[in-house]
Amino acid sequence: MKIKDELINLNQQKQKGWFKQFWSNLYRSIFRYGKIPQDAEGQSYAVFNNLFLHIHPVKVSRHSLKFSYTFGLGIIAAILFLILTFTGVWLMFYYFPSATEAYNRMLDLRSSVDFGFVLRNVHKWAAEAMVVVVILHMARVFFTGGYKPPREFNWMIGVVLLLLTLGLSFTGYLLPWDQLAFWAITVGTSIAGYAPIIGEPLRKFLLGGDTVGQEALIRFYVLHVVILPGLMVIFMAIHFWRIRKDGGLSHPSENEPTKKGNSR
Amino acid sequence: MKKNYTRTKPPEIDRRKFLTSLGWTGVGLSTLIASIGNLLYLKPAIDYGPPTLLRVGKPEDFKEGIKEIFETERVAVIRDKKGFAAISLTCTHLGCTIRTSEMGFECPCHGSQFDNDGFVTGGPAPKTLDWYQVAIAPNGELEIDKSIKITPGTYFKV
Repeated sequence: MKIKDELINLNQQKQKGWFKQFWSNLYRSIFRYGKIPQDAEGQSYAVFNNLFLHIHPVKVSRHSLKFSYTFGLGIIAAILFLILTFTGVWLMFYYFPSATEAYNRMLDLRSSVDFGFVLRNVHKWAAEAMVVVVILHMARVFFTGGYKPPREFNWMIGVVLLLLTLGLSFTGYLLPWDQLAFWAITVGTSIAGYAPIIGEPLRKFLLGGDTVGQEALIRFYVLHVVILPGLMVIFMAIHFWRIRKDGGLSHPSENEPTKKGNSR
Repeated sequence: MKKNYTRTKPPEIDRRKFLTSLGWTGVGLSTLIASIGNLLYLKPAIDYGPPTLLRVGKPEDFKEGIKEIFETERVAVIRDKKGFAAISLTCTHLGCTIRTSEMGFECPCHGSQFDNDGFVTGGPAPKTLDWYQVAIAPNGELEIDKSIKITPGTYFKV
């Protein structure tokens, strides 16, 4: 019987025409579930078989969908990081981390390159917004008790992400190579130098010398475009994964005994 | 004959445990050594910064009681009755370049104040400005070595 069914199926495929069949096969190879399913089970299946959608759980508590609970701060921070990655990579096509060239390239981006000022300004404002949003996100998690078990590890990952955000903000500040950048980094690295024991080696490591110069610029550039974003991506992946593994967002019913006992 | 193969007391470390701990020791040591190597690589080995030795001119070019400012080198050369002094213009607070004021020096960043000898008279600066070694170069010019710091208040007599 099975062989007969398959033969009928094959016959139908032949009638469809090779071109349609090719696209149908290709589509099927990407989206296993076929057309967009209408029933709950099919939709769940579609969600957790898609890399981009599977970040969301199949079922969420009604509570965590309420906008005023999260204000979407976490996802805003993630989207800002995407914007910063995109604009940053585009800026890299024109920027040159050289003490003699950097400032001129920045001015060229602002005045001559088509849409250069847009990319630069979007990068700058998204960076400042990201610092604000990340801190607000941290405040929200604190006020809703999201740092409590079982989410205490994810809170610590979040602290690492905050420090990485500040590190990216700090290293990016030097790159325009103007007076503001120069003195801000002079002061900033001097503050780092006041740390006990590791302070002076840390200052030397950041600056590559005693004063802010070419060595400092290249070090900040490498940190800003490779090392810190790379670490950021790794820790963001862990952060998102842990949200799911720790049972989604925190919600008030969590720590109150329900009829079935503790909901956790 | 029947031999008794059962051990009365098993050894505390069997072969598996020993080899496992040996393996982990190897992993730990190689990680440690690699980390030290990476840190040493990142430690700045060559100073690409501005030269520490600078010649500022003949001693007779300097007038008594006037602070001669070398802004890019961040040094003030002072001639006094006691002799010559080269005082750093890098603020000891957070590294800004200081400027001369009526009382001596002041920092534009956070308002630290210093007297003519670089001693702190106000503001957040924690210590006296650096004094650099002054010497006479073979061609008769004053030579300042920014890598050698001397006790503040030690004037160089020509």
